[in-house]
Amino acid sequence: MRQGDNRGRLLLISLIVTSLFLITLDLRGVGLISGLRSGTQSALSPVQSVAADVFRPVGNFFSDILRLGRTRGEIEKLKAANEKLRQTLINRESADQELLQLKSTLDLAGTAKYKVVNAKVISLGSTSSFTQTITIDAGTNNGVRQNMTVINGLGLVGIVKLAYPNSSLIQLSSDPAFRVGARVARSQEIGILSGQGTRTGVLQLLDNQTNLKVGDVILARGSQNGRPFVPGVPIGEVTSVDNAAGAITQTADIKFYVNFSTLSTVAIVVSAPKLDPRDILVPRQPVPTPVPTVTIYAQPTETSTP
Amino acid sequence: MVARRFFIAFPIFVFVFLIQETVINQFTLFGGGFSLFLLFALLWSALGTPEVGALTGFGAGLMMDLSQTTSGPMGQWTLILILAGFAISYLGYGDDNYRSNPISLVLTIAGAVAITRFLYLILGLLLGSDVGSLGSIFVSLLTSALWSLAIVPILMPVVTRIHETLFDSKSRI
Repeated sequence: MRQGDNRGRLLLISLIVTSLFLITLDLRGVGLISGLRSGTQSALSPVQSVAADVFRPVGNFFSDILRLGRTRGEIEKLKAANEKLRQTLINRESADQELLQLKSTLDLAGTAKYKVVNAKVISLGSTSSFTQTITIDAGTNNGVRQNMTVINGLGLVGIVKLAYPNSSLIQLSSDPAFRVGARVARSQEIGILSGQGTRTGVLQLLDNQTNLKVGDVILARGSQNGRPFVPGVPIGEVTSVDNAAGAITQTADIKFYVNFSTLSTVAIVVSAPKLDPRDILVPRQPVPTPVPTVTIYAQPTETSTP
Repeated sequence: MVARRFFIAFPIFVFVFLIQETVINQFTLFGGGFSLFLLFALLWSALGTPEVGALTGFGAGLMMDLSQTTSGPMGQWTLILILAGFAISYLGYGDDNYRSNPISLVLTIAGAVAITRFLYLILGLLLGSDVGSLGSIFVSLLTSALWSLAIVPILMPVVTRIHETLFDSKSRI
């Protein structure tokens, strides 16, 4: 090559032109290219499923070592119990809201339930491409379609980016390309929440006059026909507000409820609720138990004098 | 000759790709972890001629583009890895002192991983992809370089041994 070998240069140019040709074809939406990826994923998903069963315990073992002896089993149990309690609270609130709606509107039934398909996470996405994805073991054969909402017990996980026959690729809410229409549960103000590649997203409100507060709950606003987003799914809560004077819009940092690094099972909403559940799914803040105060008065004892 | 080398190496790359997609991706590692396949491809390129490096980058890039976790258009990784494969093999081509020094090779690969991913990011931006916050990008690039420093010394003897077994002995025959 250094000796002026033109063949090498020709090869390099040919390869670069081929790759540019591929990029052009893909950006123009040629079906063959997406078919190649789909085929690869269809071939890989059974192997991934087996590898998940075999290697996940190994991964958990190393994870346990890093967590200084806390066993994964205990953490999973606590998480399950926590999610169960949270779900109980949500269900309770849902029932209360349904009752209120029945009383006030008489003919409008309570909130509709999401129809879901449960799935197991079989692969975590590589971050080499700066994306945040997971692969699950449910696909089009299970009724999963592209652009369906994915949730777990804590809230919004992401959306189905690609659905294959037996697996699906989920774009997580933390993905930099992720965008969701969101509203503030307290004030009903709307905005756009975008992922940042971390567990914190950025909410951009359309109105700068909104009085956004730390701790405000953010919910999915919902899309037409419930795809890609069903309404009312909790996303996260406000951790800081950037209310710069003169700014056209107001932004806030949102901490997602879902911990994306510990996802093991998720649910895909295959059927949107008939009614917008509004704020029913807002997680209730834990109420601190009052601690009784006991006051002790010291009484000096009489001492005998000699 | 170059094409023959390419087809001999192909099954090995498929095997490493499978390991990456089915095993490595199962682990949640600090800072996003590492891409074994990317390390392998760059290391393999570094051991060959610039022609082989470019061709290796082409094949490896195609596989990375076929990965389900790649969000960019088909060909994005291919283009980046052609250039990376060519550049990394060109760096040490004809310089035996460089190739026989494991430390320089480790440092080159670690730097190449970060640079390759950065170029992928830049190309993604040009093609309209979203990349996230600057902080997360910086952490991701830095940790990938650090992971490379840790993994390449383990991977290098295996890769060089396979490379020697496949090509040097055959060329002698």
